[in-house]
Amino acid sequence: FYESFRKKKSPVRILVTGGSGLLGKAIEHVVTKQGGARDGEEWIFLSSKDANLTDLAQTRAIFEKHRPTHVIHLAAKVGGLYLHMKENLQFWRDNIRINDNVLHTAHEMNINRVVSCLSSCIFPDKTTYPIDETMIHNGPPHESNYGYSYAKRMIDVQNRGYRSQYGRKYTAVIPTNVFGPYDNFNKENGHVLSALINKTHTAKVEGSPLQVWGSGKPLRQFIYSLDIARLIIWVLREYEEVSPIILSVGEDDEISIKEAVEKIAETLEFKGEIVYDTTKSDGQIKKTASNAKLRSLLPDFEFTPFPQALKETCDWFLNNYDIARR
Amino acid sequence: FGDPVSPVRILVTGGSGLLGKAIEHVVTKQGGARDGEEWIFLSSKDANLTDLAQTRAIFEKHRPTHVIHLAAKVGGLYLHMKENLQFWRDNIRINDNVLHTAHEMNINRVVSCLSSCIFPDKTTYPIDETMIHNGPPHESNYGYSYAKRMIDVQNRGYRSQYGRKYTAVIPTNVFGPYDNFNKENGHVLSALINKTHTAKVEGSPLQVWGSGKPLRQFIYSLDIARLIIWVLREYEEVSPIILSVGEDDEISIKEAVEKIAETLEFKGEIVYDTTKSDGQIKKTASNAKLRSLLPDFEFTPFPQALKETCDWFLNNYDIARR
Repeated sequence: FYESFRKKKSPVRILVTGGSGLLGKAIEHVVTKQGGARDGEEWIFLSSKDANLTDLAQTRAIFEKHRPTHVIHLAAKVGGLYLHMKENLQFWRDNIRINDNVLHTAHEMNINRVVSCLSSCIFPDKTTYPIDETMIHNGPPHESNYGYSYAKRMIDVQNRGYRSQYGRKYTAVIPTNVFGPYDNFNKENGHVLSALINKTHTAKVEGSPLQVWGSGKPLRQFIYSLDIARLIIWVLREYEEVSPIILSVGEDDEISIKEAVEKIAETLEFKGEIVYDTTKSDGQIKKTASNAKLRSLLPDFEFTPFPQALKETCDWFLNNYDIARR
Repeated sequence: FGDPVSPVRILVTGGSGLLGKAIEHVVTKQGGARDGEEWIFLSSKDANLTDLAQTRAIFEKHRPTHVIHLAAKVGGLYLHMKENLQFWRDNIRINDNVLHTAHEMNINRVVSCLSSCIFPDKTTYPIDETMIHNGPPHESNYGYSYAKRMIDVQNRGYRSQYGRKYTAVIPTNVFGPYDNFNKENGHVLSALINKTHTAKVEGSPLQVWGSGKPLRQFIYSLDIARLIIWVLREYEEVSPIILSVGEDDEISIKEAVEKIAETLEFKGEIVYDTTKSDGQIKKTASNAKLRSLLPDFEFTPFPQALKETCDWFLNNYDIARR
């Protein structure tokens, strides 16, 4: 008779797919260690160990187990420049499948809020700058990662379809180049800053030169994963549009790969030779994105200064060297 | 000593539709097939291609060497506007099932079918094959359009990773026997043929949706069929190819209405309901690539193609999709 003995289900259950990745871990940190969660909220962080989201049955099973009211959908097949160039077809197929499984399962379970994650690398390659949210379908993406890019663009198409047919408030965020703890620091497959941190550490330990792929000239807006995490949580709660929103530092905070390399060397106290291998591809030279929409909605948001964010990331890498993805 | 399996087996998905039936006609009645070729025409009765297991089963049953992939969830303007999500999901699924099953079964040649309606809405004219991803498609059918555009992405992926010679054709506005003549869901000319016939029989005015001003390059399904067969055999590029009459042969809906009325001998009043959507005003496509590869191809003149289509509709009224 005594139903009060049963554990009550939280009224708000937020499921984060890709919860063990760079952004997922950052959100988990903000939610569990920095007071980002509200009373009555249950946050559930999934990884690929919990479910293979390219499989519909597994996706449904994990959604039915947790019965979320909200979803932050970060899971994807991701990689660095060189992996994308080799496997565009797989990147397209797997991400289309993951996204359709997650969005349609959410819809079938009457979940009204899903925030998915795009990327600034999906924008048209031939374009004017700065890039803004209205431009994502205005031309083919860079040839190096067209499979991934088109699959991610389709999330925007799906969001519009679910909203206009069913009133679902599904939307997406577009971070620029994210870095932080728990990233993939693999020297070949990792994102650029993480791969460089790993390579610089190794070069220092071995007393060898630091080999940087490409010319060092490409420009990027780097944004700390903990800042993205706080912004995604804000989007989940407050952002009303179906159009995606760019999450980035301002255009004036763009830096070159070379500047980033030098900052990392300084942070890790690497004093050896730095060599730029210009036979290796640079990827896109520029990707300057406008954060005007974000600024108009959140004028007072303060980004973590780059040197501090880089130091926290390097410290994490050194302190967690054994468990870091390398 | 069982029947030897033909060395060339061409599987046509969507074989019971407008283009599929046209290809079947050319292949079986107009000498379009070559010796040693077996042509297999599938319909949704044979397999539901949104289901991977059924797709694999039908491919394993026929073990094709070539595929002409026409099957899709299709419809007229008003259906698209209501169901963009379904159009996207079903077509993405069908296309992935067909292309990946073909790849897994080591089939090196698949010709898929896009549509001129998938091009960017805001664009310069004439449209050509290099432009398909250069901006959002028309809002009325973005689900279908994006799903079809993704075929081009898939083709490039299969070619660069596995060397598969998968490609696509882009017809403009096709019409002909076996189309869907439904007055609400059918393609524009077919719906008009049906409506004109009904108006004539009932002695009522012909109600045309929209202003009549939109311009279209109409192409006869039997011409498309002959061209698709040529593409299957001869066209080497991964880039899609537009299959269309020339830009000078573009006509307005109003001209098409009047030609249909003349063909069906409808003499009643024609009313244009301008409260109804026109869809895209222009879609002028360039057939320069086709012309450079096939300079001598002769399209069936529009009045003759329209007459053959109207005759088919009248003679097959009971079985026509209406």
